[in-house]
Amino acid sequence: MRRNVAGLVIVFVGAAVVQLATSGTYLRYVKPGMRWMLLAAGLILIVLAVADVLADTRRKPASSDDGHGHHGLPRAAWLLLIPIFALLVVDPPALGADAAQRQSPVAAKPADPKSNSWLANNSQGAAPVELAVRDYAVWAVWEKESMKGRAFQLTGFVTPAKNGTWYVTRIGLTCCVADGTAFMVEARGQTAPPKNQWVTVTGQWAEPTKRTDGDVAALTVETVKPVTAPANPYE
Amino acid sequence: MTPADVTDSAGTTPDSTLEPAPPPPEKEPAGSSIAFTATLILLVGLALFGRRIFNGVFTDDGIRTWATMFVGVTVQAMPFLVLGVLLSAALTAFVPASFFAKALPKHPALAVPVASASGVVLPGCECASVPVSAALMNRGVTPAAAIAFLLSAPAINPVVLASTAVAFPGQPKVVVARAVTSLGVSMILGWLWLLTGKGGSWLKMPQNRHADGTGKWDVFRSSMLHDFLHAGGFLVVGAAAAATLNVVVPRSWLDHVAGNLLLSVLLLGLLAVLLAICSEADAFVAASLTQFSLTARLAFMVVGPIVDVKLIALQAGTFGPRFAVRFAPATFVVAVLASLLVGWWLL
Repeated sequence: MRRNVAGLVIVFVGAAVVQLATSGTYLRYVKPGMRWMLLAAGLILIVLAVADVLADTRRKPASSDDGHGHHGLPRAAWLLLIPIFALLVVDPPALGADAAQRQSPVAAKPADPKSNSWLANNSQGAAPVELAVRDYAVWAVWEKESMKGRAFQLTGFVTPAKNGTWYVTRIGLTCCVADGTAFMVEARGQTAPPKNQWVTVTGQWAEPTKRTDGDVAALTVETVKPVTAPANPYE
Repeated sequence: MTPADVTDSAGTTPDSTLEPAPPPPEKEPAGSSIAFTATLILLVGLALFGRRIFNGVFTDDGIRTWATMFVGVTVQAMPFLVLGVLLSAALTAFVPASFFAKALPKHPALAVPVASASGVVLPGCECASVPVSAALMNRGVTPAAAIAFLLSAPAINPVVLASTAVAFPGQPKVVVARAVTSLGVSMILGWLWLLTGKGGSWLKMPQNRHADGTGKWDVFRSSMLHDFLHAGGFLVVGAAAAATLNVVVPRSWLDHVAGNLLLSVLLLGLLAVLLAICSEADAFVAASLTQFSLTARLAFMVVGPIVDVKLIALQAGTFGPRFAVRFAPATFVVAVLASLLVGWWLL
């Protein structure tokens, strides 16, 4: 039996994909909906490699080279080991403050104003409303009138900026990290926790900060509580 | 062999694979055995001790963000690539060449629009369509028609159009404009290919592997294996380029040119090339670029599925670099012009 390098590489790639999908690590890189696609792709790769190895053992060694030259790997295929190397050695974390700092904290105008009917049931001065950072970052700028005078609770990680400013941040994902968009809310009135620390903050709506490229949502923070990172770090 | 050696030698491989039609290197049993053992030891060693050995090396924030982007783009593309090579292997093994001769009009100029329209049936992102269109050429479909399919499939399939509709609620004209422009661009490029006429010398025709003498399942298995290994390697190159550009290019440069229509169309087209966002997700990114006109965002959605750094790498690997260096700029120019025209007409 000949050593089947191609099969070996494919088994490792397939196993890595299956491992990502089953362990939940995939949530660092892609949206939750891709789990089953990853699992299927990984299993198909493993089956393919196993089938190839089995076919190899059945083939007689003498006649093994009737043009089936796939035992030696196409040279490009060695590159497939680089992402495996990155996964095993670097163990890339979910996007955090570093990625957010590369983007502008300005909230883009929503294409379609979302329903905020929940505000009607929440009188001013009531307990803080729990909101997704991506919703708050947009509404605090574009729905000022309904947000004014209310208390909110946000959960995100800390992105420090210049002059002691810091943002409660979440990254929004539509497919994978390549399209990750940072949603940032400026936290006022408290000193910044360490970079990338996950926090739950409560506070009052505040007038957005004006920048040359637009307005940034802000919150006058009353309490800051360090929390552990959620299973899905993205929104 | 240290892991550093492997990365180095892996880094130099693209050049060597860019030679015209490289046959898979045939290894002697002994050499293959050494490669097998070394790879096995390396992978298992990394899995067990990798983090301990490199503890403290990859701690820089920028490098870690890059690694996340790189792994993210690769992982996201993997299911689509597997789908693509699965379909392409099935086409090669189970669909007789005579089927395509019957299904497509005889005249190449007529086959192009039919191939463009049939892009509707492949619900995947752009990574899937490269191996499939290579298999189509392999089965005797005229290259012009296969190219039209390559360009239309990732842009006009139902999944992509549905996500566009969700990203632009209440604006069905955006969906229509996207479908019309992408379809038009794919047909124009198919016909351009026929007109220039010398395409054959640029295109490394995908080889008709394992044509006779073996069972269908053997053909299926070995062509899927070969396609995956080959395209997978180039996908990694593309993912590395996309991750680098994502990390290095600050998004704030976008804000300075939003006002000028012509410039903003060019710029968002360029951004689509650099970011290499999956065609199923790019509508959401386009929707968030609110400082730009709808026409500029249309250009982003038309260019993204047909030219981006990940695709250029995949196409160079599949059809040869001489093809890729001509095809990518031509596609970009046609896509930008078509977006301007349709944007002026519909949006």
